[in-house]
This record gives sequence, C-alpha cells and structure tokens, in this order.
Amino acid sequence: MEYAEYYGIICPIQVYRIIFFNHTLASANCMEVFYIKKHLSTVILGSLLFVTAVISLFIGVLDLNIGALFSGDSEDLQIFLLSRLPRLLAILCTGIGMSVAGLIMQQLCMNKFVSPTTGATIQSAQFGIALAMVFFPTMGLFTRTIFAFIFAVAGTILFVFFVQRIKVKDTVLVPLIGIMFGNIIGGVTNFIAWQFEINQQLSTYFSGSFSLIIRGKYELVWLIVPLVIIAFIYSNHFNIVGMGQDFSKNLGVNYNLILILGLSIASVITASIVVIVGQISYIGLIVPNLVAIFKGDKIRGTLVDTALFGALFVLICDIIARSVIMPFEIPIEMVVGIIGSLVFIAMLFYKLKHGKKAVHFGKKKEVAANE
Amino acid sequence: MNNSVTLQKPNRHKKNAVKLLILGVITVAAIVCYLLINSHPEKTKLFLYILGLRLPTLLCMVIASLSIGVATLIFQSIVNNRIVTPALLGMQSIYSFLHTAAVFVFGTGSILFVNQNVSFAVDLVLMGTVATFLYWYLFQKTGHNILYIMLIGTVLSSFFGSIQSAMVRVMDPNEYDALLSSLVADFNNVNGEIIIFSVAALAVLAIVLHKELKLLDVITMGRDQAINLGVDYDKAIRKLLFGVVLCMAVATATVGPVSFLGLIVANLSRQILKTYKHSHLIIGASLIGMIALIGGQLVSQHIFHFTVPVSTFVTIAGGVYFLYLLLRKKGAY
Amino acid sequence: MAANMNIVDLVKSYGSKTVVDEVSFEVPKGKVLSLIGPNGAGKSTVMGMISRLIAKDTGVIDFEGQDLSKWKSKELAKHLSILTQHNNIQMKLTVRELVAFGRFPYSGSRLTPEDNEMIDRAVAYMELEEFEDRYIDELSGGQRQRAYIAMVIAQDTDYILLDEPTNNLDIYHASNLMRIVRRLCDELGKTVILVLHEINYAAFYSDYICAFRDGKIAKFGAVSEVMTKECLKDIYNVDFEIINVHDKPLSVYY
Repeated sequence: MEYAEYYGIICPIQVYRIIFFNHTLASANCMEVFYIKKHLSTVILGSLLFVTAVISLFIGVLDLNIGALFSGDSEDLQIFLLSRLPRLLAILCTGIGMSVAGLIMQQLCMNKFVSPTTGATIQSAQFGIALAMVFFPTMGLFTRTIFAFIFAVAGTILFVFFVQRIKVKDTVLVPLIGIMFGNIIGGVTNFIAWQFEINQQLSTYFSGSFSLIIRGKYELVWLIVPLVIIAFIYSNHFNIVGMGQDFSKNLGVNYNLILILGLSIASVITASIVVIVGQISYIGLIVPNLVAIFKGDKIRGTLVDTALFGALFVLICDIIARSVIMPFEIPIEMVVGIIGSLVFIAMLFYKLKHGKKAVHFGKKKEVAANE
Repeated sequence: MNNSVTLQKPNRHKKNAVKLLILGVITVAAIVCYLLINSHPEKTKLFLYILGLRLPTLLCMVIASLSIGVATLIFQSIVNNRIVTPALLGMQSIYSFLHTAAVFVFGTGSILFVNQNVSFAVDLVLMGTVATFLYWYLFQKTGHNILYIMLIGTVLSSFFGSIQSAMVRVMDPNEYDALLSSLVADFNNVNGEIIIFSVAALAVLAIVLHKELKLLDVITMGRDQAINLGVDYDKAIRKLLFGVVLCMAVATATVGPVSFLGLIVANLSRQILKTYKHSHLIIGASLIGMIALIGGQLVSQHIFHFTVPVSTFVTIAGGVYFLYLLLRKKGAY
Repeated sequence: MAANMNIVDLVKSYGSKTVVDEVSFEVPKGKVLSLIGPNGAGKSTVMGMISRLIAKDTGVIDFEGQDLSKWKSKELAKHLSILTQHNNIQMKLTVRELVAFGRFPYSGSRLTPEDNEMIDRAVAYMELEEFEDRYIDELSGGQRQRAYIAMVIAQDTDYILLDEPTNNLDIYHASNLMRIVRRLCDELGKTVILVLHEINYAAFYSDYICAFRDGKIAKFGAVSEVMTKECLKDIYNVDFEIINVHDKPLSVYY
C-alpha cells in the first residue's frame, strides 16, 4: 500500500522538487522523503487553495482595500462580511461537498463514473424542492431542505439498488442509466412545474450561482462540514463495501447499512448544495477521478486531497466566471459545464487508451496495493 | 422440408403486412381525430381557421416521427445496440449551439436569417458537416464502443448547452428575441415555415442514401460480418451517420427536442414486427411515432388543455421504457 | 502448384508495440492451414489482416494477382469469407435467414432460385434442416456455430478463414467442427485458414501449420515438420512429448 502511494505521487513530487528545492529525488533519505511526500500533495493543495481564496476575496465589482479593511472602514468591512466572505465559504463548501459526495458514491458503487450528477441525486433533490413549492408554498427554506434531503436520499438509493439488480456488465452503462433516471425524474419535475405554473420560479432556483449568496441565507451549507467528517471516519467501511457484499461479510461489515449510510451522506451533502447554490454538475465526477490518478483509490488517503482539490476547482471556476465579462457574471454552472465536460472527455479518452477493460485509473497501483 | 420454408417465410411477412396495415389505420384515425375534434365543422369559417392552425402542426409531427424513426433505427443498426437512441448523443444541443453560433457570428439582420428556409438550410449544412465529422471521429477514437460514444455524447450536450447559454448571455437582447423565436420549437409552436424544405431535404437524403439503406440488414450483423459479406463498411457507416445527423436536425427544427421518442418507436416496432428487415421496421417505427405524437398531442390538448407539453410525456414514458428494457434483459449489458 | 495468396513482409504496430513483424508466407491452395502460437504472438492479427478486417501498416497481401486492399469489397466477398469469434447478432433471425445472408454479395437482398438452391445445399451440408426455422438466439452454441459455417458455405468462396472457431465449444462440438473443416477442404476443394489454440486439432486436421512467436513466424511447414519436440518447445517454451495416433503426430504437454 505504501509502496503504491509512493508511486502514485512520484510525478508531481518530482516536478515540485525540481521547481522549489532544486534537488533530485535520489539525494534524499528514502523514508524521510516518503513521509513528506505522503502529505506533500495535501500541503501543496492546501496552500494553493489558501492563496486563491485570498485572491478571490478581493475580486469584485467594488474594490476592497486591504488597508481599509483592517483599519476598520465600516463600509468595506460590511461588504466583506455580508457578501465576499459568505460567498467564499459557500464556494469552498460546495467544492468540498460535491467532490466528497462524488468520491463516496464512486467508492460504494465501485464505479468511477457515478456521481451526484450521473446518479440521479441532483434531480431527485430538485424534485423534492418542486414538491415542497407546490404543496407548502408558504413554508420557507427549511421545508424545502427537508424535502430535498428525503428525495435525494430516496432517489439515489433507488438508483443504486436498480443498478445492482440488473447486474450491469459494462461500467459505462451505469452512468448512462443514472442519466436516464435523472431524465425521468426531471421529466416528472417538469410536469409538476408546468401543471402548477412554477416553471419560471424553478428554473431560476435550480441554476447554480453564487451571486445571490449573502450572510443569513447560506448557512445551511455548513452542514457539509460534519458530514464530511463522518465520511472520513467511515471511509474504510466505504472502501470495504465497495469491494462487494461477500467481501464485506467476510470482514464483518454490515453491507446494506454502510451502503445506505454512505449514500445518505452523499445525498444530503448534494441536496444541501442544490437548495442553497443550485445545480452544479461534474465536480463530483471529475475531481475524485483526477485525484485518484495521482493518489490511488484508497479513500482515507485521498479524501482530504479530493476535498481540497474540489474547493480549488470551484474557486478557480468562480474567479473565471466573475472576471470574463466584468462587471457582469457568467453563472458558474456554465464555466463548470464547459471546463468540466472537456476534462471529463479527456478522462474518458485516457481511460480508453490505458487499460481497455480496467475500471480504475490507477490499476497498477491497485495491484501493488494488494501485495 | 422445403415446404416449411416456403410456408413459414411468406407467412411471417404476410403477418407483418397486416400489422403495418393496422398501424396505418390507427394513424389515419388519430389524424382524423386530431383534425376534427372540437373543430366546429358547422361554422365554416371557424372550421377553416382551426384547420389552418392544426394542419401545419400535424405535418410537422408527421415529418418529425418519420425522421426520428428513420434516424433511431439506422443508428441502432449501425452500433448494433437496441437500447440506444441518437437523441442521447447530444445532437439536439449541437443543433441549438450551431444555430445560436450562426446568429451570433452573422447577426439576425444578415440575409441568412431573413428567410426561415435559408436559415434552416444553413443549419443543415453546418450540422451535417460538424456533427458527422465529430461523431465519426468519436467512432474511430473509441473503436466503435457505443457506450463510450453515448457517455461522451451526453457530456458534449451539456458542453454545447453551456457554450450556447454563455453566448446568449452576451448577446444583444433584440437578437436574442429573434433567436429564441427561431430556435425554440415545440409541439404547441411548430416551425411551419420549413415544412416544404424539410420534406425536400428528407427526399434528397433518401435518394442519396438509397444504396446504404439496402445494406442496413447486413450492417446490423456487425462490422466483421458486414465486411465479410462485401460491404464497404467505413464508407457506408459514414454516409448513414450523416443521414442520422440530418434526420435529427430536421426533427429538432420542426418540433423541438424529443429525447426518447426514437427509443420507444424503434423498440416497439421491433417487438411488434419481429423481423430484421429494415424496410418493414422503418415504416413501423414511423407509424408508431405518428400515433404516439398525434395521440400525445390529443391528450395534451383536450385533457391537459396545453398546460403540459407532449415532450414531457414522451420523456417520462421513454425513460421508464428504457429502464424496462434493461430489466427485461438483465445482465445482457 | 502456384499459391494464389501470397503474403510478403506484413507489419502491424499498435503505438510503439509491433504485433506483427515482417511476416511472409504463401498459403497452399486447396489445403487446410492452421495458424498457432501463444497468446499475443500475432496470429489473430495476421488473420485479421488477410481477411481485411484489420488494416495493415506495410507489406503486401497478394490475392489472385492483386493486392487485397485494391479489391472491391463486394467482389472480394465472393472469393474470400471470414468467420470471427464475435458474433453477437441482436436480431430476430432464423437459421435459414442467416444462411441466406451468405448470398448477399451475389444478389443483395433479392434471392434468385439459384440462391435458394445454394442455401438449401448449405443447410443440408451442415445438417441444419430441423433447425432452419428456429431463431438463432434460441440455439445452443454448437448449433449456432454450425449455422454460421452454413452461411459461409452458402457464400461459396474459394478461401474460408476461421478465427478460433473452436472457442466456446465443448469437445464434442469442437471435434465435429474440425471434421467439417476437413470435409470442406477434401470434398468441396476449399482453401481453409484457421487460427487455433488447441495444437492437437491443428496437428490432426490440417495439412500445414504456421507457428507464430513474438509477432514473427517461428516455423512454417507441413504438420510433421512443425510437430516436433524441439520446434514446439521453441514456440511455447514448454516441454512436449510427441506421440503418433492414426499416423498423425499429436503432442502431450503438462
């Protein structure tokens, strides 16, 4: 396993070393390097994220002055606390949440192409929101959230059990079924929307955007933090469940319980983002895969990196969205859609080229991990 | 021995002729219902007015069912897989994207957009080249692995969708209005102006592809068999793909995107007719498509009073049917 | 006897990996030729190239005086047929309809009385009369394989190429199939080229063997020349014993 991780990150490390320390791999003591290396990617990602986050805070229509901020200029501070900071935090939570949700789902289903987008989770949550709007139009955010949670969990579990029932042979069919599932649920949502004339309301509500995030209206996304922590604690369980029912039984893990727990966590994370921010596709699909290329498939080792990288990805997309046609803003979903789909297609081609039938990107690493 | 052959084969085909006839009768009945229900034939003027409204819609639905049926059957045979539909490849969003891009580049004032037919012709040419090239490349790159092509197709559809909405964002609002009216067709607002041109396009396509269409029965047997039996495989596939792309463009332009209709009609046609002969299957699929669309329109018009568009029903029914197909053939994919 | 299929310096690479490396041989006309060798030795790729299913990189496949790539696909289909192992037809097709497809290169979809006669003969030759109106997806693996062979017979080509035809067949059906191959050659005068995994089928039923190793021809010759201890050891890197059964050299390995 350690051998595997060593190999997994050797490339970025080498580059990193040459750039920053200017000395070669061979010169350092192997164990020492190894230890640093194991956490180096996390450190790099963390610091990159921090720098980008700070930059992002000062990009906006109104110029914020750092000096003024610290000297206690109340107007600047107001903007900062009311809008910029909540926005940043929402972005970070979205990135972390969506990518961790994707990672959990991929682990549990042992399929690299499952994610909240391709597993009907997002559409189920939207369906719940639509129902809440129709039946409890006067109730606020809280009711919608509860509905979104319930339906997201139910929809995702339904999808996973359906896929398990038909015993799909080709891994690529699973996301296709998920997309179909999503389409059907979306169709029903549409039907409700047309029938009760909440079409327009819904489509604005569903489109993902951070521009409406202000203090007092986004705090729900904080829920992601405890959920991610729970996911981290149970990450080994998820790994085992991913290996299959018999494998889990052998190791004394309650398969169905853990499967449902994991899917519920992923669904609730997704649903809370859908309620607050709107629909943001692809992050859950792409980020875990990119991280796995470098770090292998053991969830404990990749969860933190995945979360950090997810946050970084969304943050960069948001900066692009805000700065391309300043002072206007492209909805972030479009930026993520364009960048995300290109990366995803590149990933597919990569998979096609390396290992025709392999389900995983890091196949070599896995072989080593089993040894 | 020989008897059973001569007995059995014509029998099956005779049965199919009867089945097709029944489908045809149902189609005609649906058309009559569609045109005459609540049409107030006692008041001549109103009657003519209503007919004038309904006829273009009807024609568009007929054209759309025909093109969707043809496109789906050809596509399924090319890729040798019955649970796929070209609608899943994102062709419709490529179409919207190209149309928007054309408006974006040339502007609505351009001569290209004064006439709907000219504009549609431009779209068809763009679509025919870009999409055929794109999908051909994907076919090559993935080694004809249809599941990959579909997955990439779905992703592409969100890709082009995103670019299109980004273009719309930065567009002049006046141009945007003009674009919207020419882009967004649905069953309650069909694109009647291009009926004649669509028919012409389909006719030309039928002439260009008549040779390849005859090869379809063999192509369904897979690449190796087709080559063994003397088909110039790559060329035939390219031409057929071109046909699929254009048929999808015609359908999208006349009635807007209908994702799963093709899946339903192609599979029902196969289930009902139980034959491998594409000549029968295509007629069957087109008739079933007409029945579904016109019937759906009747329901939407007289039961839901236009609140719910037909495409919503088609999406839901088609999706459920797809899942049913998967369940029925458990473990086959 | 002049060979009508002559292969010269055939090369095929995937990326940096050369799978077939300057392979040259002549196909003996009217005989059964088996291509053998370990996995990845390139035999199936060679088969793919001489059946035009796989495009060659360089080299010449001279077929009746003309390079294979210059042949019109439709014309070639009357002279050379190929049956691969992947035949998952998802159509509702009866055995007779499948066999009828063998006449496609001649008459398209409209069968002449002559075609029907050929189809009858092919069906009878493979003893498929009682199945001919059954759907092929209802048949057993062995029956289905026979139906495909019948189609190839109906196609009536001088050259018949079979890519691992005994795969997925049990011993009974596999040896039956090999006997049919022998008859195709002896009774109908066909030239048959096979890719085989089972060395003893190659030894017992074919006239010539072409053995591959690492993309090159390790040995080409009559069965008795190839089926020797040294030769097989060289090809497979496993110790062999050769015993004679019915005057044919068969190998034993463990």
